[in-house]
Parts: sequence; structure tokens; C-alpha cells
Amino acid sequence: MRIGVFVCHCGSNIAGTVDCKAAAESALALPDVVYATDLMYTCAEPGQAAIEQAIHDYNLTGVVVASCSPRMHEPTFRRTVERAGLNRYMFEMANIREHVSWIGKDMVANTNKACELIGMAVAKLRNNRPLYAQRFDITKSVLVIGGGVAGIQAALDCADGGIPVILVEKEPTIGGKMAKLDKTFPTVDCSACILGPKMVDVAQHPNITLYACSEVDDITGYVGNFDVKIRRKATYVDWSKCTGCGTCTEKCPSKKVPDRFNENMGLTTAINIPFPQAIPKRASINPQYCRKLTTGKCGICAKVCPTKAIDYTMKDEIITVKVGSVIAATGYDLMDWTVYQEYGGGKYPDVITSLQYERLLNASGPTGGHIVRPSDGKEPKKVVFIQCVGSRDKSIGRPLCSGFCCMYTAKQAVLTKDHIPDSQSYVFYMDIRAVGKLYDEFTRRAIEEYGTEYIRGRVSKIYPDGNGQYVVCGVDTLLGQRIEVTCDLVVLAVGIEASHGASHLAEKLRISYDQYGFFLEGHPKLRPVETNTAGVFLAGVCQGTKDIPSSVAQGSAAAAKVLALFSRDKLENDPQIAHVNPARCVACGKCIRCCPFGAIKEETFRGQLKAKVIDTVCQGCGICTSTCPQGAIQLSHATDNEILAEVNLLCQY
Amino acid sequence: MPVLEGKELRIVAFLCNWCSYGGADTAGVARATQPTDLRIIRVPCSGRIDPLFVLRALLNGADGVLISGCHPNDCHYSAGNFYARRRLEVLKQFLPILGIDDRRFEYTWVSASEGQRWQQVVTSFTQRIHELGPAPRLEDAEPLLEMADMALKPLRPLGTGQKAPLDELKACIKSKIKDLDVVIGWQQGYDAAHTVPLFMRTEEDVDRLVWGPFNVNNPATYVNEMIGKAVPLDKVKKIGVVVKGCDSRSIVEMLQEKLIDKDNIVLFALPCEGTFDMARIDRELGRYSKIDKVEYDEAGVTITADGTPHRFCITDYAQGKCYNCSMPLAKDADDIFGTAPEITGTPSTPPELAMLDAMTLEQRFSFWKGEMDRCLRCYACRNACPLCVCKDYCIAETREPHFISQEWNVREKIYFQYIHAMHLAGRCTLCGECQRACPVGIPILALRQQLVRIIGQLFDYKSGMDSTATPPLLCYKVEETNIKQREL
Amino acid sequence: MNIGYYPGCSAKGSSLDYELSSAAVCRELGLVSSEITDWNCCGSTPAHAISSELSAALCTRNLMQASKQGADVVMTPCPSCLSNLLHAKERMKNPEFRKRVDELLDEPSKEDLPEATSVMQMIGRMYNTGQIAAHVKMSLAGLRIAPYYGCLMSRPADLMNFGDPENPTLMESLLAACGATDILDFPLKTECCGAASGIPHRPLSSVNSGRILELATRMEADCIAVCCPLCQMNLDLRQKQAGRQAKTRFDMPVLYYTQLMGLAFGCDEKELGLDKLIARPDKVVDKIKALNTAVREAQGGKA
Repeated sequence: MRIGVFVCHCGSNIAGTVDCKAAAESALALPDVVYATDLMYTCAEPGQAAIEQAIHDYNLTGVVVASCSPRMHEPTFRRTVERAGLNRYMFEMANIREHVSWIGKDMVANTNKACELIGMAVAKLRNNRPLYAQRFDITKSVLVIGGGVAGIQAALDCADGGIPVILVEKEPTIGGKMAKLDKTFPTVDCSACILGPKMVDVAQHPNITLYACSEVDDITGYVGNFDVKIRRKATYVDWSKCTGCGTCTEKCPSKKVPDRFNENMGLTTAINIPFPQAIPKRASINPQYCRKLTTGKCGICAKVCPTKAIDYTMKDEIITVKVGSVIAATGYDLMDWTVYQEYGGGKYPDVITSLQYERLLNASGPTGGHIVRPSDGKEPKKVVFIQCVGSRDKSIGRPLCSGFCCMYTAKQAVLTKDHIPDSQSYVFYMDIRAVGKLYDEFTRRAIEEYGTEYIRGRVSKIYPDGNGQYVVCGVDTLLGQRIEVTCDLVVLAVGIEASHGASHLAEKLRISYDQYGFFLEGHPKLRPVETNTAGVFLAGVCQGTKDIPSSVAQGSAAAAKVLALFSRDKLENDPQIAHVNPARCVACGKCIRCCPFGAIKEETFRGQLKAKVIDTVCQGCGICTSTCPQGAIQLSHATDNEILAEVNLLCQY
Repeated sequence: MPVLEGKELRIVAFLCNWCSYGGADTAGVARATQPTDLRIIRVPCSGRIDPLFVLRALLNGADGVLISGCHPNDCHYSAGNFYARRRLEVLKQFLPILGIDDRRFEYTWVSASEGQRWQQVVTSFTQRIHELGPAPRLEDAEPLLEMADMALKPLRPLGTGQKAPLDELKACIKSKIKDLDVVIGWQQGYDAAHTVPLFMRTEEDVDRLVWGPFNVNNPATYVNEMIGKAVPLDKVKKIGVVVKGCDSRSIVEMLQEKLIDKDNIVLFALPCEGTFDMARIDRELGRYSKIDKVEYDEAGVTITADGTPHRFCITDYAQGKCYNCSMPLAKDADDIFGTAPEITGTPSTPPELAMLDAMTLEQRFSFWKGEMDRCLRCYACRNACPLCVCKDYCIAETREPHFISQEWNVREKIYFQYIHAMHLAGRCTLCGECQRACPVGIPILALRQQLVRIIGQLFDYKSGMDSTATPPLLCYKVEETNIKQREL
Repeated sequence: MNIGYYPGCSAKGSSLDYELSSAAVCRELGLVSSEITDWNCCGSTPAHAISSELSAALCTRNLMQASKQGADVVMTPCPSCLSNLLHAKERMKNPEFRKRVDELLDEPSKEDLPEATSVMQMIGRMYNTGQIAAHVKMSLAGLRIAPYYGCLMSRPADLMNFGDPENPTLMESLLAACGATDILDFPLKTECCGAASGIPHRPLSSVNSGRILELATRMEADCIAVCCPLCQMNLDLRQKQAGRQAKTRFDMPVLYYTQLMGLAFGCDEKELGLDKLIARPDKVVDKIKALNTAVREAQGGKA
């Protein structure tokens, strides 16, 4: 082998504390090294050109660059050596910046360490083999999980790009949380008016197949070829026949069903359509409350249905689809705020969540847009908003900021004044976080034009005063005084968490999630839409808190990623995967048991059982390699011999 | 490569690419000053780290080895660090019995964002290693040879098994032998005081079957090459095996690891009353030219060699494993004859292990140097092991991968024995065939006894007892009950 | 179980009625305990403000005294005493702290000091609803009781062991066992009564206690049930002051929960120290009697 070593100064970043020239000279003493030099900026154009030139001039068959972290520039230099005709895996990096020059100032020790790291890289490179990616066919369709605004945007953008989209929504209608909102900040435009048309587009788009009332049961496969099992939950209404006429909901005798869409602020019927603009506009039966399904007696909806769409015997149905990519857009849920016993723990009817308040404000809500107290139906004159209920509160293990509550609280205070001009709103806040475009201006308006009283401090207690009103006790930390506000209605800005079941989905998608259940992006800054599983992308609040514009932006970004992925007809796999040497395999099956991806199977090879890696499923973790006792399965580019070469270089008695 | 004389020690780190290597990068970007000793080997996942890499480094003179991966639940490959946690914990607890200070090896979790934590981990680990000083070298150790006191109190009365219903068993085997290619048992060997394996194919063969304290071999050793997974599919047989309780555990373990198929094997069981430690008997008999006769009584045998009678009471001369045996009769056998005796008391520490327990780290280091220096690398220990199913593909005899060289020195001999032991972690049933087969009498069973003890304590698990259980190092729990996270 | 009884200073003075009624209730239930010999102040008021070591030393001595007489658990009626005992035990787990405390003690502290708990928790632990109900001679059914724990009894949650610190319910279950049916869901049951600021900032104290008295009045409570000597004193003795601050007159009997239980068990009023209350409890006693008579007549009538 003919190896060239290039030691980078990185300006003074490395050369300041490492003698790069000496390091390069010492490399010449290493076996197989035929050329070594130091360069000012190796990653810059002249540096890369020098490498290419040296490969040609010295007939190099392998290259070591000692510079920054391989996590930074390994792809760069792999392309460089590839341009010069080498296999991209005949390249190794020694990290002498992050791991040497930046963490100590001792020139002698640093130079010695740099020389050793170069030695390790050379030792490994001498064991490297050229690797070649395999090309495989892909299914050019995408699964979007979650039909909130982020999922809708992602689905529409993909569909407009000509990609078949399967949109799965667990509720009977798409629209998500945005469909429940009355107005949006900071423009105070009608939420339904801007979302509604997009929902209709979803329903009408020829490239979109919508499965509402459905959940993802299982996902197997890999980028380009995922197999998805979708569970279509029984709605007891044949949606191919239902026209959404609503006759059944008028006649249904079971009228005391908590209205989920209205955040339980009202009652609905056992068979219902969530709201007038629902997409799909189809009825479904809540089996917990349906008289026919619980007692066997009734069947009125079946009688009145003009299209005979009711089917009480319907069962969950599993359908299987093949997709090439997945966008998770599962959104959020509110945390269980009843842990706050000091706020009544849920027992006071007039202490409600802001999402419930949103339904009260909404013209299609249970009160037709009239703000009334749930307890007595009277119009409140004094409304207290409490922010950060379950956000930024370490005492209940939720130090996270929910991000958008400051803004919607300001919006709700404004709307309260619009609805009830002689009302007075109070907002207990910790800090006002209004960082979006026109956001701070909006909060100022709420305070200055609408006279909302902002009190900086937390609330210690809410209790009914016995006269039908509530006393909110807190502290005004700006005045350093205790404060009590007697009011008619209390609205809690309840903190968010990842939607229930997100962690189960994450496990199916093999992506990580944080302690609140939010999915982990590929890189917090540079790969905010990708995940660490190829072909799985994120959109909306499932990745972390976002307001509507950001969710929409990420929906589009995820769609762009999918379209870029599908711009190729075939994909290449990463060749850094495991391979079985059938001559050494004794078919003990330990690797099959340990593989987290089910990427190893048993097959008959010349009359004997052997393990076999499915190239496209293997992710390259190497658990199998460290499990196989006889070393018959080896992870390419991290083989036992490659790692042992590094160990043996460092440890020589 | 040499370390900076008098200034640095040799500290090797294995870091997973996704979390900890990123964490080390983050520390660098933040210019977090760290000691210069540490050399980082980048691997894709902590699950990729074979404990044998760590042993290799430590045997080759590393003063400390540090491993860091993603925090539990954060693994890029979802479960790599869970496997790593189990394997590395077993390794860490194994080191002291080898005479290696376990503080020289540590594993921890650092995420890509935890630059500060990485700085602290490196600093405190380096400091720890400097406090311990350079690791002792095998070359410098004085060889130490010591023998364990083997006599123990059995958990049940030992005997010579002459009342076992052997004839019923023979009748049963005869009735089934038509459907089986072969049935493995024991027959008298070159004299009445030794047995050799018997491979029964006809009814006449069955008559040669014997039962008694000389049936020391574990017939499970032959099972894998007859019906194991590596046997060409058209050559797989259907076999029967006569087993003692201990032998059956080897077979249950093989079933558990899915190395063999239950449909291909029939187990015949008799209650065992203990087997002789033939090494001690041969030592007692001394040089002789001929065994005249062997007479059995309830409590032992009288062997007359060259006209001189020697009395051997089974309670004094049984194999070490027989004293601690709590399953003399295989419970999972297809045909069981006789009844199991009542077990009283709890097993005590095996004598070889007790001897090592009583030693200091330095003494153990010297002990293994002394013992392993005698190893011939004849591989008898491996070939006798019913669970060493790699046999011809053992990594001790290959350059692909090249874990171990053929150099003739104590370091490579020790490494071979440690590899053999580590490959049995969580699998070994302590049948003792390795030690029995050793021609130079190295107490290598002690290594396995320590591993069995660790596995029992960590995972509340005993191998070869339940054919449906999963071996503990081939699975994991998200929350490990008995693995305590150490601060670093 | 050998139970040591630590009364605390107020039990021998301002809240003698608490001790009397606790003793009566325990006697009725058969809960035997022996007062710790030569006990001393728990260090609650002045000591802990000046030195946590001194406060812990005082408590440790009490627990050691209890230990000497063979007690494995110490119970006290006073939440403030309990809080100090538990805090001392917790702090003594720190070896450095313990060394400093030991310097103040006559003899080195013991490693395993007896457990500490309140009389209320002790009753709750030893007797279930049925066992308590068996002693009831006059049911509390129909009496509107506002249960009030004060700020100290349930806090800090991990030390005092009262469940949710914002919503403890043990007192309610004990009273319910005595037949009480109309126990109010009293929202201010763990709010501060203001006793601590009674001397330095009397108006603030009056505001706090006034709020509690006012809400109880508005919720048409017949009485407030308390479990803390300081709360009782503040709500009862200073009721007039609080009324003046709120520009009203309160007439709200403030009874220890043990006095109510004692009444239910048919104990003598004097024995329960009812005569020591400022806001007269007569209407409470009369209502209980009247309700019970009514029930008895109704049953008699039917029979």
C-alpha cells in the first residue's frame, strides 16, 4: 500500500499548539507511508488540490488527513480522494484539532499525541478495503403521519410535487389543533378561514389518499422501501356511502356524549361529525355511548340514513402500504394540568384550559362564539389568564417553555375585550416571549390598546369565594406585593407535551425522542427536519414547540426533503454495513438475536445454514460483530482487524 | 508507540460516533482543557465494542481503558448501548479475578451536547489512572502456583449409583433405538476404573451401557457436531443422549441458544450420585501397570491396582461440581428413571474460586501468570466444551479476524483463556469439562465460575435451566435492576 | 409498637385543650403511648431561626430520650414540632452536620433514631374507618365542617408524608369515620393563617386569618376543624382582630379535630377542653346533639 499523510495547520487553530511539520515528518517513519506533508488549510480548494496532485504524483492508494473532526470534514475529503480515483473508503482522518490542539497548550505533548493519532489512522487505513455502495429501487410515495397543519402542508407540497401521499390521521377529521382555534396571532385572522381551504385541497388532491380514524400499527423496512401497516379503526359508518348529510346526528337519541372536538366543553351525539368543515365530512359512531352498540337496542341512525351507510358490525381493518419515505407530524397534547391542586386540580368548572377557551370563542363552538362561564352560562366580566401552567416549572419536572402560550394568551385577552367590551382581563406571566415577526407589537397592543393588565408573577392559589366568583392569589414580583384578583373565569395556558403515543411511534420509526416525548432531529441546527433514520422526516410540534408559521415552514421543508430524495430513481446504500463470511459462520444465530433492525436472516448456503445480512436493512451498528464469537460477521469499515490495528498500535506492551 | 516518559500513561478510549465522539468534539470546540493522555478510537456504536478489545488493550500494556456511548434510550441504533451496558458490566466485574484492578476500566455515557461532561469524564478518569500508576506488567510478575482445597460438603448424599434403574433405562433405549441414528452414553474403557463414550446403534450396543461414578464425560460435547446448526442439512441426525443432571444443562443451553432442534434429540436420564475427580484418583493410584478389579460399595469404590487395593470414598474424591450439584437428575429429559434425591442447604463458593477470592489482586495476577505459563495451547479445553460450537472456526486460530497471534508467550496464552471464558459468559453451565480435559491441570474453571457468579448476581440468571429463556448477554432491559450507574 | 408521646410546649399551655382532647380520643381508641421523660423544646421558634444545628440538637435529644425509654416511634400533636423533628432527622444524615450537632449534645447521637409522626397520622395508621366508627356515640352527620390543616402540616411534602401538599385528606377521612357527612371542600385548607406574622406584622396576620374565616362563613360552615395549635390560636383568639380588619364580625368556632372526634365518641365537654375556646362552640355541640336526637326520634318513630 502507498499511503500519503497530510497534516493540516488549520491556520493557527492546529499549528498554534501542534508542530505540524514535525508530525508530518514523523509520519514518514510509519509503514506504507510514502509521502507526508503539512498544509495550511487542507479543506480549502488549494489543500484539496494538493491532495489530488499528490495522489497522482506518488501513486497513492490511501490517504490520511490529520485535521479537524471527521464529523466535520470526512465527507469533504472522501469526495476529494474519489475525484483523484481512489475508493472513498481508502481514507482516514486523525482528529488533531478538537481532540488535540484545542484542548491543551503543551506543544510537546500535543505533537506527540498528534503523531500517535496519525499512526492510528495509518494503522487502520492499512486494514481498510474499498467499499462499494449498492443501488436499489425505491417506492416513490410518502406516508404522512398526522393531519394537523404541518402534516397538511407536507402532504400538499409532496402531492403537488407529483408524489403519491398517504395521510394518516387518528381523529375522525384532519385539521389538528389549528382547526379548533378561533383566530390566530398576531394578525387575528380567522383560523378556519385560512386552514379550511387547505383541508379541502387535501380531500380533493388526486395524489393524496386520506385515512382518518386510522393509526400506524407497524413500520418495517428502510429508506425507499418501508412497509406500513395502517389500522383503520371501526367507525361503524361506511364512509364510501356516507354523504355527511347529518341526518343521523340530528336523530341520535344518545345526546350526552362528551364532545372531544370541543375539548369537552359541550355535549354531542353518539354518532357525529366533529364540526361543519370536517374533512372527511363523514359521520362516525362513538361505540362507548352508542345505544345500539352498548345495549343492542336502538338502530335509529341506520333507519334514517338515506344511503344505508351504517354498519354496526364493522371491525378494525389493517391495510398494508409501501412507501419510500415517512413524515412524522404528530403534533402535541396538553399536559395533565390537574396535578396543580392549588388551581383546584380540575374541580372548579370555571377554571379551564386555553384550548377550551378557544372553543368558547369560536363561532362554531358549543356556545356559538359567546363567552360564557361553564358553571352557570353567565358572561364573565373579569377573566384571569395564567401562563406557564406546566411550563418552565421544575417542581413538576417540566422546565421546558411551551413557546406559543405568551402569544395566544395575548390574543385571547384581545378577543375577550372584543367579545365583551366591558370586560377586564388579567394575565399572570413569568416573562413575555414574543420573538416572532410582529409578535411583540401585538402583545404591546393587548396591553396598551386593550387595557389587559399584565402581572408579572405566579399564582399560588385559586379558590371559589363562595359568591360565585374565584379568587386568584399571586404575587406581583415587580411591585414585590401579594395580589388577589377576584374574577369570573380563569384560563390556564397549559404546557404542551408530545402527543400521546408519540414515543411508541418513535420506536416503530426507530427515531429518538427526548424526555417530553418530542422527536429528536438529526442535528439541532443543521438537520432540523431529518432524523437519524434515513427517509424519516419531521414536521411541526412533534419535533419541539412551534407556532403555526414555523409548523407550516417545517411541513414544506420536510416535503422538500422527500422530493429531493425521490428526485433519484435509485438510492445508494451506505456500504458501511455488516457482512457474513460464510466460510466461518457456524449458524449459531447469536447475531440474528441481537440485531436491533432484524437485518440478519438465516439462509441455506451450499446445503448448510448460514447467517445473511440484508444489505438494505443493515444500519451499520456492529452489535453483531461484537457478538459473533468467531468473528464471522464483520462490520465493513469497523472490522475487528481495523479496530485491533488501532489498539495494537497504541498498546505494545 | 511509547507514551511520553514520566508524564503520560497509556489510556485508550472507545467512543461511539454519534454521541460521545461528538461530545468530545463539542468539548474541543469549547476549548475545554483536558489531560493529553487519552487516545480515542472511534467506533460506530458502543454495542460494536467487543470486550475482547478491552482485554487486548489491558494485556498489551494499557494503563486504563475508557468507553463512552450514548445515554440509555438515546442510542442511534436504538439498542446498542443496552447490549454494551450488560457486556461491559460483566467485563468490569470479571477483571478483578484476573488480577486486574477494575478501576482501570470504566464505561459511561456522554451525549454529543455534553462537552463539559466529557471534559470532566476525561479529567477524572485520567486522574484516577495516574493515582493508580502504571499497570503491572506480566513480565514483572512472580509466578505463583497454588492448589485449591477441593473437599466440600455435598448438598445431597453422594454414592456410587449402583442402585440406579439401569436395566429399565436400557429397555427403554432398546425400544426407541430403531427411530434414532445413535444414542450416546458410557461404556467401560481400557480398564474397569475408566469409561469412554459409547455410541449405541443396535440393541447389542445398549447392553454395554454402564452407570456409575466413572461416567465423567459430558456426552453433550458430541451433540453439536451431530445435530448442530452447522451440520449440512442432509446430514442432520436424530439422536438420543443419556444424561446426568449436569449434562442435561449443557443440552438445555444449546436448545436455548437454538443451536439444536428439540425434534432431533431425545434425552434419557438417571439420577447421578456423583462422579470421581479422576485427576485426584490417578494421583493417589500413582504409577501402576494394570487395574485388577474395581469393587463398588454404597459410599465408594475399591480399586485394586497391581495387587494393591485403594479405597476411594466418593465424598472425598468427587469432582468439585458434584458437591454443589442441585440437579442430579435431569428434569427436562424425555425418559426419566429413578427419583431425584432431596437437596439440602445452599451451594457454597466453588473451591477454585474461593482460593482466588482469598488472594489479593497482585497474587491473582501472579497466579494466572504462573498457571497460564504452563498452557500448551493444545485447545483440549475448548474441544471438550459442549458449548464451544465454533471449534474449527475459533478466533484463536485465524488471522481473519486477528485477535490473537501464535506467539509463544504467556500473554497470548492468557488472552486465549480469557477469550474462551468471555465467549462463555452467560452460557457456561460449569460442567467442568474444560478443566478436566486440561492435560496440565490449570484451574481454568475458576474463570467460568466467576462469570457464572457475576451473571447470577447481575441478571438473576442460571444458564441451562430453561430452554425458553434468552441468554442474558443476547438481550437487555431498558432499566437494569442490578447494574448501578457509577459516577465519573 | 412502642409509641413515645412528645407534647411540645404549647400542649402544656396555650393549647392545653388540644392535648386534653387528643388524650381523650386516644384513650377511647385504645392507642397507648407514654410521654417522653424530661423532654425539651423542639427548637421551633427561636432556635431554628438562629442555628439549624441548635434546633437539630434539641430535637435529637428528644428523640434520644424517646429511644432510651424504648420507643420506636414518636408522635406529636403539633405540626411545627413534627416538622422540626423530621427536619432534624433528615439533616442528621449528613455526617458533617451530625458532627457539629454532636458537639452540642451531652452524648454522641445515635444512628437509628425513632421515627416521628403526627398524632393524626398515627390514628390513621392504626385504625381503619370501621374501627373508629365503632367508638362513635354521637354522629357528626349533618355538621358542616371546614377542615383546615394550615400551611405546615403537609409541607414539605416529601418529609411530612401527607400526600399532595395542596390537598391533604387525612383529617376528612377521620371525621368522616366519625359520621361527618358535610365536610366542606375547603379550598384554603393549606393556606397560611398568618400566625407567624402575628407579632411583627399584625395586619397581615389578620388579612390571612380573616380570609379563612370569611370563606368558612360564606360556605356556611358550622365550625373550622384544625390540627395546629398556632392556627387554632390565631383563628380563635384573634378572631375579633381579624373581623375588625375585614370590617365585619366573625362568629366561627374553631375546634381541634380531636375535639370533634371526642364529641363524637361521647367524651365530656370539659374533658375535651371545650371551655377553653374563645369563639363559643356551644352551637356546634347543640347542633350535633339536635341532629342526633332528630335521627334517633325518626328511627324511634319508625320503630
